[in-house]
Amino acid sequence: MHLMKMEFYPLLLLEVLMSKIDLNNISHTYNPNDPEPTYALNPFSMTWKNGKRYAILGPSGCGKTTMLNIVSGLVRPSAGSILFDDKDVTDLKTEDRNIAQVFQFPVIYNTMTVFENLAFPLLCRDFEKEKINERVNSVAETLNLQSFLKSPARKLTADQKQLISLGRGLVREDVAAVLMDEPLTVIDPDLKFRLRRKLKEINEEFKTTLVYVTHDQNEAMTFADNIIVMSDGEVVQAGTPKELFERPNTTFVGYFIGSPAMNLFETEASSNDCVKINGTLIKTNTNLSKLKNKKIKLGIRSEFINLAEDQKDNLLSVEVDKVEDLGNYKLLTAKMGELTIKSKITRETEVPSSDVKLHIPADKCCVYENEILI
Amino acid sequence: MGKLYKFLKYFFITFWAVFVVAPFLWALTTSFKDFNSVNGGATYIPWVDFEPKLEGWRVLIKSPANGGVDIIEPYFNSLFVTCTASLISIVLGTLSAYALSRFTFKAGFVKNNDITFFFISQRIMPPIVLSIPFFLFLGAINLLDSLIGLIVVYIVLLMPIAVWIMVDFFNKVPREIDETALIDGCNPYQAFFKVVLPNSIPGLIVAGMFCIIFGWIDFFFAFILTFTEVQLLPVKIVALNSSITPWWSLSASALVSVAPLIIVAFIVERYLSKGNLSGAIK
Repeated sequence: MHLMKMEFYPLLLLEVLMSKIDLNNISHTYNPNDPEPTYALNPFSMTWKNGKRYAILGPSGCGKTTMLNIVSGLVRPSAGSILFDDKDVTDLKTEDRNIAQVFQFPVIYNTMTVFENLAFPLLCRDFEKEKINERVNSVAETLNLQSFLKSPARKLTADQKQLISLGRGLVREDVAAVLMDEPLTVIDPDLKFRLRRKLKEINEEFKTTLVYVTHDQNEAMTFADNIIVMSDGEVVQAGTPKELFERPNTTFVGYFIGSPAMNLFETEASSNDCVKINGTLIKTNTNLSKLKNKKIKLGIRSEFINLAEDQKDNLLSVEVDKVEDLGNYKLLTAKMGELTIKSKITRETEVPSSDVKLHIPADKCCVYENEILI
Repeated sequence: MGKLYKFLKYFFITFWAVFVVAPFLWALTTSFKDFNSVNGGATYIPWVDFEPKLEGWRVLIKSPANGGVDIIEPYFNSLFVTCTASLISIVLGTLSAYALSRFTFKAGFVKNNDITFFFISQRIMPPIVLSIPFFLFLGAINLLDSLIGLIVVYIVLLMPIAVWIMVDFFNKVPREIDETALIDGCNPYQAFFKVVLPNSIPGLIVAGMFCIIFGWIDFFFAFILTFTEVQLLPVKIVALNSSITPWWSLSASALVSVAPLIIVAFIVERYLSKGNLSGAIK
């Protein structure tokens, strides 16, 4: 039905597919009857816009899967509400929400063929036979599964099975979002790369909202428009990869995102905008007037630290510890007293073997008090 | 090394085959003997060692008035009771096992595992403990000496087996299968019948096999809870015995009574070898 419309009224179709997901003050605990319940997910609010790619990034056990299960309805949140297109679906059952979810390990229906597996979500929703054939064939083509359509699903390899799981998620055109819980864990690296690109293409072509849970920051950075970083049941920061990279909200994000992790120095504010690192004044763009004599941390990405050329200010005199050639860049590890500073420099840069001066750009400095960005 | 291994392998297989088949051969030959051949020393080859007679088999179908024992009615009674009780046990057992595996029950200190154990505990008790309550209970509801009464009792005995096997089986079926089915648009009942159950056929077969075996071989309850109206095969076979042991008809009835189980075994074995049972769960 939707496809017929698409031929004549492409814009109308987009409107039909539009689906915005709002999470309002959602929180969840698995032991609600305890006098002091422990929260798997602390209260947070968020809006997922239609057609975007989101990545939920965080270490194992930080509440990522709980968040997905709340959206798909497998878990009812202890508090808060979920809205699909401003319609409250908090109490709507999973089968009545229009959500697709792909789990970490392939889940296939062993007793069915690949075709039947892919057709199952449409069959459950009483689609017409022709429509089912058309959709299944189109998805099978996208995922290179055409030649297997008639074989029993259980005979396939692990990564082909995961493709089927993905395919079942993509076979419905009208899903509000496809939720993926580390879906590429079982897939080998080369195919992983191609599949991620494929998912991006699918998102761009069909404007399906994709939510991708991962603990791999590279995966998140390359895949998503928006990344939601979680730690210990808390949404620490949500933003574009660029925002997360340049202005991490907390030291955790700075540490978790980027390779190597952000350089962090414990220090004190010595004037309105300067901090002192091992006796050297470093100017920042942050107003530090209220933080005099308080313990703070200065964070800066190794990508932004360079060997000083003609700069006069914000220079640190350091001792070169080692230089590693990592193929597309060099990683310089330097010592300044007890501090270790890492800097990514181009391969062409010649590094003197002894003392060098490093330039710290003021606009790239992030200042943290109690691990939170000021 | 390789040769020795091969020799030992075939030696033990042959030994085992002989070990298993020999009693059947003995019963088969004995069932065609008469009094003289049985008492005339060890003889095995018909027409050479002894003259085969059909008397042992005829006794089984002749009516008692003509000096037979007529096991036909008890045979079908046994088939009916076993199949009905097994079927009901499997259906009820599978449903309760699924509930015990997927949902959380709590009544005071009683939780899922306690309920599962309660089912199994029915089989831990010696049957003799159950016999008197069963007798009084069936007497109270007028079902002593009836097929229905026996079916009720057998369900009590067989359902724990089904629950036990199926709980274990469902616990091994990943929950994500149910969840995926829900996400794909099934309601919980459809998820169970369309997705989980077809995936559980191997478990159902194993549970069914056990129920049929335990139901078919039961002598104790069939003996205590029936008198004249209804008789089951095991009771009838025991009744065959008399002061002069009729080895021929005992052998014939043993072969007849073991036949259904052998047929079941062959069917399941064929199913197994087709590979349908293997690899159903990841």
